[in-house]
Amino acid sequence: MRRDLTAAVVALRIGVSQGLSGWTVLAGRCLFYLLIMTVLSALWDKVAAERVAGAIPLPAGDLVLYVLVTEWITLALPAVHLRFEDDIRSGGLEPHLLRPKAYLLQSLAQSLGGTLVRLAALGVTALAWLAATGRPGLEAAAYLYLAVLGVLAVTVGMLLYAVAGLCAFWARRILPFQLVIQKLMFLLGGLFAPISLYPDWLRKFGEATPFAAHLYWAGVQALQPSGTLFLRAVAWQGLWILLLSLLCVALWRAGLAKVLREGGV
Amino acid sequence: MSPAISVKNLSKAYRYARRRGGFFEAFSPEHVTIEAVAGVDFEIGVGERVAIIGPNGAGKSTTLKMLSGILEPSAGEASVLGLTPWKQRKALAYKIGVVFGQRSQLWGELPARESFNLLRHIYDQEAGPFARRLGDLTERFGLADLLDQPVHRMSLGQRMRCEITASLLHGPSLLFLDEPTIGLDVTAKAAIRDFIREHARDHGQTVLLTSHDTRDIELVCDRVIVVNQGRIVVDQPTDQLRRRFLGRKIITFQSAGHGVSLDLPGVTRRPSEAHATILEVDTRLTRVEQVIAAALADGGIEDVTIEDPPMEEVIADIYASTHAT
Repeated sequence: MRRDLTAAVVALRIGVSQGLSGWTVLAGRCLFYLLIMTVLSALWDKVAAERVAGAIPLPAGDLVLYVLVTEWITLALPAVHLRFEDDIRSGGLEPHLLRPKAYLLQSLAQSLGGTLVRLAALGVTALAWLAATGRPGLEAAAYLYLAVLGVLAVTVGMLLYAVAGLCAFWARRILPFQLVIQKLMFLLGGLFAPISLYPDWLRKFGEATPFAAHLYWAGVQALQPSGTLFLRAVAWQGLWILLLSLLCVALWRAGLAKVLREGGV
Repeated sequence: MSPAISVKNLSKAYRYARRRGGFFEAFSPEHVTIEAVAGVDFEIGVGERVAIIGPNGAGKSTTLKMLSGILEPSAGEASVLGLTPWKQRKALAYKIGVVFGQRSQLWGELPARESFNLLRHIYDQEAGPFARRLGDLTERFGLADLLDQPVHRMSLGQRMRCEITASLLHGPSLLFLDEPTIGLDVTAKAAIRDFIREHARDHGQTVLLTSHDTRDIELVCDRVIVVNQGRIVVDQPTDQLRRRFLGRKIITFQSAGHGVSLDLPGVTRRPSEAHATILEVDTRLTRVEQVIAAALADGGIEDVTIEDPPMEEVIADIYASTHAT
């Protein structure tokens, strides 16, 4: 087990190296982040400035900061589902199966390595954008909370996409699974607006989903930083990381048994 | 000494659903079973270098996959280095090295050195012995200038040298090679064949190789197992097989004018095109250079290509010969 974890840490470091070696793509992602924030901040600033009588009351805090956080997480995510689909369907899995370490753990560790690089680069971009626009930043404590919640959030998101990717053992294409997860991240995760805007029953449901663990619980720290909310967020994220990891392992084992029996998919 | 590989009545049948035309038939597909490997038996001793050859779909890769543990057989037994491959896949992985000519096990964007370092941890290798082994392989394979180069920027030949190095870094006693020289130029092929043969000889390593290139078999292996339709057709030393079946070359002469016409023993003309004469040469009777010299003396030659006969032809000859006797 210790050696498995050591190999996973080395794979994570390889992922970091890969993330850094593709710096031009990373720079493009950061520029795209700036573009998105320019558009979304214009929208949310207008909504905040021209409140409509009778409209749903907006949550306290600056919604632009909320979106800054959710986009930071979203843009850092790896395309682990595409990697799984490619390896599973092209037979690229075979060299990995001939090794004594688990492909799933190695691949996820490697993907997480690249994700951490993107998270850091996009984080610096977010700070630069705040400074350049003269917008008041977050409270000091919020940065600390977000450093932790951001890493947990991308881990939840990566595991959600990993579940979609592992469906390649049974489905010809994983695009439908990917689209469903993306839409649910948008709707129940609260990509552009916090799910606290929803009716109470839907808010409560949404908060308990992995999609909120991926985006909402980190984003809400930008609206109202609080130690209590931070702990609740960590608990939800930890729970979903555990459950999704178990689901990934179950799917992997079932898929692997199929490949070993049938010689491919 | 117990054999490195022992196979008894090993079989693999694939079952798949064949869709039939019509709406209602789509809900009740017909199931078809294909027997890829049909009860093969063989043993490979420690230090032997053996080729499994056969036409496409003969069952070579399926056999290799079962012996390396990534495919469960339908029936039969196999023991590889004392382990049952499909039941002890991870334990076996420490003892074998595998190279797929058409699949990379390295990380494309990274320098080879980083891939090798990750493999050290994947195979739980101590730093000292690993560094020594990498040093030896680097020197033997001339990799010093390649180690810090991203793998995706390497030529196919350079990449294959790195692939083989990667498969040997954990010191396996058995090497599986699936089409290791596919797509390489003549020089790269020669370098890889020399390396595999010498490394296996120096380290007492057992080699099991599949290839479509008869030169891989002649120059690397001392025994050949020919499979066809999932069954072993021939299992004999390479020398014996070479004498009977591997002594032919196909020479194609391109000429602007008239075709090449030679009257030499063991040289026969194959169906040719307008400006291309294709000759089949039995090299036991006439050497290739004699044929070329004679053709050049005839004049008008613009280009020459020398090839081995396609593996399918060699197998067909072997198959016909074994069924005639």
